[in-house]
Amino acid sequence: METKMPMVLDIISENIIKHGNPLALKGSEVASWAKELDLPVKGELLFYTGGEYQLLPFIDSLVKTITHLDQGSKVFSMMMGARNILNKTGLNAEKMYASVLAKDKDRYNSVCLKAAKVLHGLGYEFCYSGNEELYSGALLYELGYLEDMKNYVQKVVEVIRNSGAKTIVCLSPHAAEVFKFIYPKMVKGFDLEIVTFVDLVWQRRDQLAKIEASGAVVIHDSCRLARELGIHQELRDILENVGADVKESPRNREWTSCCGGPIKILFPELSHVIGSRRVNELKESGAEHILTSCPYCLSALEGGRTKGDSAIIEDLIEFLYRGSKA
Amino acid sequence: MTVDLRKDFVTYAKDLNKASEDTNIRTAITRAVSSYRNTVSETLERFPHTPELAEEVQGIKRHSMANLDDLLKQAMDSVERNKGKAFFAKDHQAALEIALGIIGRGKTVVKGKSMLGEELHLREYLEENGNEVWETDLGEFILQLRKERPMHILSPSIHVPREQVAEVFSKFFGKEVPPDIAEEVKVVREFLREKYFTADVGISGANVVAVDTGAMVIIENEGNVRLATGAPPVHIVMVGTEKLVPTFQDAMKVAEVTWRYAQYGVPGYVNIVSGPSKTGDIEKVTTYGAHGPKEFYVIFVDNGRSDMAREDKFSQALHCLRCGGCMYECPVFQVTAGHFGHVYMGGIGAIWTAFVAGGMEKAAPLVYSCLRCGRCVERCPMSIEVPAMIGELRERIVYGKY
Ligand code: SF4
Repeated sequence: METKMPMVLDIISENIIKHGNPLALKGSEVASWAKELDLPVKGELLFYTGGEYQLLPFIDSLVKTITHLDQGSKVFSMMMGARNILNKTGLNAEKMYASVLAKDKDRYNSVCLKAAKVLHGLGYEFCYSGNEELYSGALLYELGYLEDMKNYVQKVVEVIRNSGAKTIVCLSPHAAEVFKFIYPKMVKGFDLEIVTFVDLVWQRRDQLAKIEASGAVVIHDSCRLARELGIHQELRDILENVGADVKESPRNREWTSCCGGPIKILFPELSHVIGSRRVNELKESGAEHILTSCPYCLSALEGGRTKGDSAIIEDLIEFLYRGSKA
Repeated sequence: MTVDLRKDFVTYAKDLNKASEDTNIRTAITRAVSSYRNTVSETLERFPHTPELAEEVQGIKRHSMANLDDLLKQAMDSVERNKGKAFFAKDHQAALEIALGIIGRGKTVVKGKSMLGEELHLREYLEENGNEVWETDLGEFILQLRKERPMHILSPSIHVPREQVAEVFSKFFGKEVPPDIAEEVKVVREFLREKYFTADVGISGANVVAVDTGAMVIIENEGNVRLATGAPPVHIVMVGTEKLVPTFQDAMKVAEVTWRYAQYGVPGYVNIVSGPSKTGDIEKVTTYGAHGPKEFYVIFVDNGRSDMAREDKFSQALHCLRCGGCMYECPVFQVTAGHFGHVYMGGIGAIWTAFVAGGMEKAAPLVYSCLRCGRCVERCPMSIEVPAMIGELRERIVYGKY
């Protein structure tokens, strides 16, 4: 039997498989943040972005385009295959790139740079695959494209192996999850040590400088980080070390509420409702400054914040960077 | 063959969006969620042995699902030994036909709440075949009158506020029923009382079945099940085979864990029924149909369950106790209620939809609206790995492997 899945799934899975990125962004775009650092391509520790923070500003414009098309319409069903829809709707990386606000682009692109600087500040040395870096394929796993993923990950692993690294540090918990639990099942002899940005910072948290924050902060535990990877106390320890006043929301740690992000591309409105409920739940802690440690949480919570809401939503990386600048 | 799921996804997304804007659903679920969380944490504190007991029950369930054929045979033997009649229904259609065969036409039937009944569309089928059927659970009764489907497995009419109840009751009873909950309960009580004692047949489900004794354990709070299964001359139990456990002791453990996670310290009533009513008070001659039913039937329904039991990746889904806990913790369910479901609801419901009630095409949109966030697993007394199963179903859907 053959199944016709919603178009957006075709687009994303094909993009990953053919272009190594869910939105077909170019390697040079994805790696542009690293220009000023001149990172080596080989080393013991591989800095892995997977392009996930970099693509955040484009997700919303993709979703907007998709939801404006009536997927049930005749015209729509005539446009078979992802290539077609890419051409006929003008839904291509260039176009989307142009439609995105420069300030969003700068913000999300700089998250990687900030992460690298924080780790350097703590004395970590690492390499980066630059233009060659490929997306982990986490969405193929999430969305059920596992057979395609089996082939795809071989390419990813080749790039990783070229670096000669023994350890990968992932900015996104989704990448860490698939490297840790899925890759070993798909790739023979995949035995690299997988750590997250949070792990590395936590190990050297004593060296962190104090951060002047205007008020208390509250942690939005990412589902993957808290439940699959079991990382939640580490976030609190880190924040305590930088002298932040951490408030807790009623649902936290392994009981955390999902940001709604995972269904954003198929059910954008609903995802939005879930995101804004989570923002409100987090604010019940008494803190208006929300910190998370996952690109999709960051984007979903930003999307869930209602206009004019005074809440600040940041990635832990952005928050810690304030300290490393000082 | 090509299955085009695109339209289904669009229709479903619209339905979810509408539900998420429904203020009745929003208010009701918000209230229900906070009361669920409070009562459960309170009762777990009061009965701290419960999580450990839940772990033991996981073992009982694992063992039972691995020995399903054997348990089924024992269960049927026990029912017969107790002077009941036991039937096995392979699928949906067989289950309905067996029930109809026992009931016949032109009868009055009173029914307790059962998810299996929903799965089979039992009431509708019996009605189509010329019977008068009454849902006796208050929530189900309201939905019967409103011609709606349940929005929650335990509180089916959770989304209907008292004003709307008054409206539908006034119309049905042909008199002004005020939007006052006590009054609303009272009119139904009076109406159904008459039905219990004139009905020909009472139908119920069961929460657990102990196969050694043939004891059917039915948990309830309203007292409607007592009446529906005690007053009419015939009692039919329709139960899914996933409810079978080896011993009476096991059944008690399962029952306690079920009601505890369904937010009860102890439920109003626990019915244990194992056969027709009987007496030996006159000359020690056993005579059936003393005060309760003279005839007792049990229909064990498979309808996809044994397929599930055979699959390593899915058999754990059969451990579900229907406590409802996961739904209260599900971020999608919290804003859409039963719209995130077909007959069965929430993430676990998507799995059951695929195998038991609806099939893979009906399940597909549900499967993709699950966040796979994993909070249900934290809540679930059976620690059912719903996100992993959802992942597996997605793969089958994408590659048409079903
Ligand atoms: S899946 Fe678990 S939590 Fe949900 S209803 Fe079943 S037993 Fe209860």
